[in-house]
Amino acid sequence: MGKGSCSTAACTWAISITAATPISLSSPNLEISIMPSPASSSLIFTWTMLGLFPTLRKFVGIAGPIYMTYPTKALAPLMLEDYRKVMVERMGEQEQFTSDHIVECMKKVIAVDIKQTVQVDKDLQIRAYYAGHVLGAAMFYAKVGDSAIVYTGDYNMTPDRHLGAAQIDRLQLDLVITESTYATTVRDSKYAREREFLKAVHKCVAGGGKVLIPTFALGRAQELCILLDDYWERMNLKIPIYFSAGLTIQANMYYKMLISWTSQKVKQTYASRNAFDFKNVSSFDRSLINAPGPCVLFATPGMISGGFSLEVFKQWAPSELNLVTLPGYCVAGTIGHKLMSGKPTQIVLDKDTRIDVRCQIHQLSFSPHTDAKGIMDLVKFLSPKHVILVHGEKPKMAFLKGRIQSELGIQCYDPANNDTVCIPSTHYVKAGASNAFIQSSLNPNFKFSKTIPKDKTHLVLKDTMTMSRLLVSDERVDEGILVMEKSKKAKVINQDELLPMLGKSKHEVRFAYCCPVHIGNSEGTKTLSKNRLPISDNHSWLHMVFAKLSSELAGESIQDLGEHLQVESFHVSVCLKDNCPYKTADNPKKKSEAVFFCCKWSVADEKLAWKVISFMENLDLSSI
Amino acid sequence: MEERLWNHCENTLTPSSNVADKPLSLQTLASVSSLITNPSTSDPTIFAIFQTLTSSLQLSHDPLLLRHLLKLLSDLAVHRPHLSHLVFNSVRAHSLLSTDSTRLAAESLSVLASVAEHDRTLVSAMDELDGDLFVSLCFRPCVSVRSWLLSNADRFRVRPYLLLTVMLGFTKDPYPNVRRVALDGLVKLSKSIVCDDRGVIEGCYCRAVELLHDMEGCVRAAAIRAVSGWGQMLIVSNQDGDKTYWSDALFVQLCSMVRDMSMEVRVEAFEALGMVKMVSDDILLQTLSKKVLVILKEKKSLGHCTSKQFEISASSAAGAFVHGLEDEFYEVRRSACYSMRTFPILSDEFAGEALNLLMDMLNDDSMVVRLQALETMHHMATCDCLKVQETHMHMFLGTLVDSDTLIRSAARKILRVMKLPNLEMFKSYIDGLIKNLEIYPQDEVDVFSVLFNIGRNHGKFAACIVQEVSQEIDPRGEKLSFNSVKVAAWLVLAISASLSHDQHSCNIPPRIYSYAVTLLGRISRALSDVMNPNTLLTYLSLCSRSTSSSDTEFRKEESFLPVIKGDIPTYASIEMISYSGVPLRQISDAPSEIHSQKMWEPRELVETQFLEYQPELHDEVVTKYMKLIPANIEGVWPLIQSGCMVEVLRTFRSCKDELTTFTTDSHGSAGALAFMLQYIRVVKLLAKVWVHFLPERKVCSYGMGELHLLLGKLDRSLREMRYRFMGLSKEEELHVLELILLSCILRLSKVEVCCHHATLKKLSYYNFTCRISM
Repeated sequence: MGKGSCSTAACTWAISITAATPISLSSPNLEISIMPSPASSSLIFTWTMLGLFPTLRKFVGIAGPIYMTYPTKALAPLMLEDYRKVMVERMGEQEQFTSDHIVECMKKVIAVDIKQTVQVDKDLQIRAYYAGHVLGAAMFYAKVGDSAIVYTGDYNMTPDRHLGAAQIDRLQLDLVITESTYATTVRDSKYAREREFLKAVHKCVAGGGKVLIPTFALGRAQELCILLDDYWERMNLKIPIYFSAGLTIQANMYYKMLISWTSQKVKQTYASRNAFDFKNVSSFDRSLINAPGPCVLFATPGMISGGFSLEVFKQWAPSELNLVTLPGYCVAGTIGHKLMSGKPTQIVLDKDTRIDVRCQIHQLSFSPHTDAKGIMDLVKFLSPKHVILVHGEKPKMAFLKGRIQSELGIQCYDPANNDTVCIPSTHYVKAGASNAFIQSSLNPNFKFSKTIPKDKTHLVLKDTMTMSRLLVSDERVDEGILVMEKSKKAKVINQDELLPMLGKSKHEVRFAYCCPVHIGNSEGTKTLSKNRLPISDNHSWLHMVFAKLSSELAGESIQDLGEHLQVESFHVSVCLKDNCPYKTADNPKKKSEAVFFCCKWSVADEKLAWKVISFMENLDLSSI
Repeated sequence: MEERLWNHCENTLTPSSNVADKPLSLQTLASVSSLITNPSTSDPTIFAIFQTLTSSLQLSHDPLLLRHLLKLLSDLAVHRPHLSHLVFNSVRAHSLLSTDSTRLAAESLSVLASVAEHDRTLVSAMDELDGDLFVSLCFRPCVSVRSWLLSNADRFRVRPYLLLTVMLGFTKDPYPNVRRVALDGLVKLSKSIVCDDRGVIEGCYCRAVELLHDMEGCVRAAAIRAVSGWGQMLIVSNQDGDKTYWSDALFVQLCSMVRDMSMEVRVEAFEALGMVKMVSDDILLQTLSKKVLVILKEKKSLGHCTSKQFEISASSAAGAFVHGLEDEFYEVRRSACYSMRTFPILSDEFAGEALNLLMDMLNDDSMVVRLQALETMHHMATCDCLKVQETHMHMFLGTLVDSDTLIRSAARKILRVMKLPNLEMFKSYIDGLIKNLEIYPQDEVDVFSVLFNIGRNHGKFAACIVQEVSQEIDPRGEKLSFNSVKVAAWLVLAISASLSHDQHSCNIPPRIYSYAVTLLGRISRALSDVMNPNTLLTYLSLCSRSTSSSDTEFRKEESFLPVIKGDIPTYASIEMISYSGVPLRQISDAPSEIHSQKMWEPRELVETQFLEYQPELHDEVVTKYMKLIPANIEGVWPLIQSGCMVEVLRTFRSCKDELTTFTTDSHGSAGALAFMLQYIRVVKLLAKVWVHFLPERKVCSYGMGELHLLLGKLDRSLREMRYRFMGLSKEEELHVLELILLSCILRLSKVEVCCHHATLKKLSYYNFTCRISM
């Protein structure tokens, strides 16, 4: 068990990563259970975690509650008991837990519904989302403080005949932990595979053969059965379909009860007929194994690793009329795996038993796991800040990790067992807001602007270059100012409030420049003493500048206010000081030939100001 | 009673008592309301009510009461149109519009708008209000009013550009509902506004694209609509080369939404996809494969221009349609099936692959989806891009025996227009149809008609099959096996083969036709849209008589059959077109038009076998007379105008009589004569219709119903003129089209509103055919 903790002081996730299910012996499968900090010891339970049962006894010791979806709660004891039996009775392994343990454990289970938000304790909030995969599978959204994650468990992004596709809201997430069983596979439409399967089965029974479909009790059995039942209905076939007694039939019963967890179609037809009331299906009896005539049989376990499916396989394999369909994946060492790899004519079961295999084999890869595209689609839809890939094979996970990082630009990790990953999480600072700010936030205040795209590639297109796109922005929030004072809570105030609050007055930066304007060496100026113009002349100079400017700057509104001219914030007045501080020293023009105008403007009108000044500097009033 | 009620109300309503203390009871308001709505309330009372309401409107400050008063005033304006000006002015003059309560102000504005809607004369007054009030109300903090105003913006006659900026601005609103409404407003504007400013169009488009990633599903759905609407504008505003780029960009953008988690969004995305008119081949193919295709992998970004908004990798288009077709929800699957119909024309490869997927959809559990898949295939067939292969046969034939009637008939509809490459396929379709017939005998009429159709289209194959089975048709021993539907089906096939376009039918044994005579009733019922029982009988007896099945001979005779007998009872072509041809609704969407036209050709040819207008063969006399008639009719026109119907009809009758004398004399110009007779018939009908449009003259006996009937007749005759005659000169054809136009206009100007839609459709169709024929 490794612990990865993701920090900021506020919250700590304890993520325990365990080498998982006994079925997946070959790959470094990872399973995750989420336990928010040692402080509150409760457990959220997703379907994949049934594989965790070897560690069940540890959970019995947990004080807090265990959360499961309703179907999981209903089916878990059933599966556990079955698993225990298989481990103890068939495989002869040491008993890891007893029936009492299971009962004890189930007492702590609290059921949750899809999209029900559960406040587990003060900090932790969880919510289940529909995940497809198998009945009751769920993705869990968990939130502690401000940081939130989604743990997917196993999920399926494409619906099948009886379950819907995974469904989740768009959430603000720090982290998504997703399974990656098929990190590189992209599956095409399953319709073609269904058609092939139906064709093979139909051909076999039409030729008088028997079809053995080894499956796991849950999910695939129902999926294939709906498919066959529909087909039987449409083609009006009368050949019997059997379910091996026990678990599968029981599971069907649960499916019937938990109809609200299935797909849209099953739910909609429910009013007229329960899709799990298979019309053509009956339960199987051992005596029927060697009964004459064609039939279709569903038997567990799925990989023909023992049990009833092996028993039937022994009987049926020697006839070439018969058909065995195999699931997409079989663990090495099982008969299913042997059948898949090459086409053996004989299978050696043990020293004394050899099975002649003459029957046809049809491999059928219906998988309830999502494919690589599904994972990408989900990650893209959720757009979290970080992604962790679990439950997959290392090289494939690395490939997918690369894709997520390059295509979606999301930081991604594929930790090995016992690795620790640190994820920075969100922490919001709460700030108060002043009334004025709230008031201003209530009123829309959007502004439009035109942008000229800076992107160089646009230059390729002649007309996009000149084009400017209309942009809209709502500046309500921009107007706020965050004020943090010592020993006081942070507060957002309106920008108008700032000055009174600080008790300061507003300062404004203004620019000034004393601009010489050439007046020539005319008679009139020569007679003047000390280069100083009489006041009346000052006015006339100003008027002349005004006349010039207003003809030059037709677009702007220039005002003549007697003592000075004004354009926007730009002021012009005649400079009366000899040593005006804004006069630049290296002025080439002789003082006698120029009149100085003092210009003042604020930052906002800088462009305009320089435009006017450069115009004035080139002006020659003597020519008038 | 009225007065008592009013007096009572007045007492409670009058300002003096009202302002005092007790609030107005609901009962009083209700009785005022009943007085207003009661049409027999006298005018003085109504006026008194109006005055009281207005004065209390000014005096009252209770928002609840004010709202009731506003409601009553608007009722008053609606029920008493003569008061609408007064109501309008008093509400406008009232300070409510500038009140602090946003809700009240909005409601007064709403009252003004609804009054103006009922009284057209107030529209200009409404315009004076301008958008300013509307905009200022939008900017108030009250969110519910804001979204209400935005969603009803078209009522307030705001200037489009002002509205555009307002809508665009509010897409930034923090409330999802306001964003949604604003986006919907933008969608509406994209349909109505005339906008040349690329910057504005692109601004709207980009804003909508941004909102595709909104947190709320409803906003995303609205954003898709907006992206689609403004995307189309953006495409239009570009030059040719860039059009492709923008169109592709729009398509891929929409594709990226088909994996949304919300069902509504996905449905919306597929609907929008179906509206894109052109897409590059490789992108189209990418939508059918979840794996990213090599071609697109190399081409990292689309086209030559990338700005950040549009840098969408091709992978987002990957498998878009596949995802749609395997969606959990039938709404999405149906929508995906529907949207696929646009693209097969663009790419053959796409058509092939799409058909593979669509064939799998015939295995869908939802009837709606199967039906849509079939309809899409039908569309493909009419566009001549349905290439059915052997591998599809199993699936497709299954639909012919589907338990659902609609599915079966949709499948047969495809068969009617399908082109089959080889005999094996043809055979399996015939077998499929016969199986259909055996299991569902109620489909007989349609199955026979389909058999006849495909038999004619594939005469050679049909003849082959008939020859093969002729032994089976022959009676075994004494008893004829004519009860068997199979035999009936084969007989229909035999008839169709002999009437097919290609001449391979000569070697069908003539006795088969004589068997067909025994089933005349059944067969003719099914073929009633093609020929009438008498024609069929004549034809069959002719075929069975001659040893060398002389259908060519028959054709000659046939060519004047209907004319000699003077019966054109079934208007074959017309019914056939509306029955089996392209449904008229398709005509409005552009790409299908050309192809639907294509489809009709064979049918027009069919008709020419019966009637041929051959101007070059005219007797000289006839030709001369032909020229006289239009002149004659010109002379008649003033009479029609003045309403002297008796004389008019007499003139027409004499014209007709004269024409019929020619018919008996000269066989050669039967077609021309038939055309002229038809022409006279049309003008006569037109004259009869015209009476209804004459001013002043009220002919009591002519009800609206009769006009309707007359217009129907006129319509039929005109259609017959248009479709039954070949070889018309351009002027003649134009003249016929003009007449059709006239009849449409007449219909539009008189007949009830409910017909308008159909007539307009028809007009748009003729508009199209005119362009084609020009």
